[in-house]
Amino acid sequence: MARMKFLCDSDRCIECNACVTACKNENEVPWGINRRRVVTIGDGKPGERSISMACMHCTDAPCAAVCPVACFYGTEDGLVLHDKDLCIGCGYCFYACPFGAPQYPRVGNFGGRGKMDKCTYCAGGPQQDNSAVEYMQYGANRIAEGKLPLCAEMCSTKALLAGDGEIIASIYKERVQQRGYGSGAWGWRTAYREELPA
Amino acid sequence: MNEQDDPRLNARRRFFGALGLVAVAAPAAAFEADGGTGGLPPQKESEAEKRKPRYRETDHVRAFYRTNRY
Repeated sequence: MARMKFLCDSDRCIECNACVTACKNENEVPWGINRRRVVTIGDGKPGERSISMACMHCTDAPCAAVCPVACFYGTEDGLVLHDKDLCIGCGYCFYACPFGAPQYPRVGNFGGRGKMDKCTYCAGGPQQDNSAVEYMQYGANRIAEGKLPLCAEMCSTKALLAGDGEIIASIYKERVQQRGYGSGAWGWRTAYREELPA
Repeated sequence: MNEQDDPRLNARRRFFGALGLVAVAAPAAAFEADGGTGGLPPQKESEAEKRKPRYRETDHVRAFYRTNRY
């Protein structure tokens, strides 16, 4: 069975932030929340590297391990989704996540943060697929429409890959062989506990 | 003239009525951004439906893979 993964080819990412914009627009993400962001190391200096980051949908997700109300659940194709009706906004998942994926809509009195929001891999949530209430809470469900996350589909330099892990790994492998070098599939060892076959 | 027939009083009632509706609707709109259902009835999937594989390798997805190999 296909295992959904993200892979950002940092040799191709030009820090255009189109993935961030596409995500916000497609999912009508509330103000103050970025489900995806571009991180640049050595910005403005020769050899700078950018990488587009969001929830990596980890195999053994630390967010799910620490959630006191068990609002996270995994799908059979490897997606880590959550139920906003159960979330109490405690913030434990934010501290546990190695990628800084969980986001909160507000900072309120007595530490209230509101319901956690994160990348859903454009797969919605526990509400019925493509229903109005699902869109309201979780955003678009492109996977149910037979598509892939818009951030990856929008990427102009094809830096951000999404889809079946084996297929995107083979695409990346071809690129590495063509270039003669590779910077590695960043985050894969942390998220999926495996190395990219090269 | 009866107080109920006074057009100025009626206009004022309509104005405050509309103001009341806005006061109720504004927090509801804020709730949507907060992860709520925005007043829509929940349509939850069953436990099995929640975990079912969602990915399908459609022509659209195959085209994405193909163009990424260029």
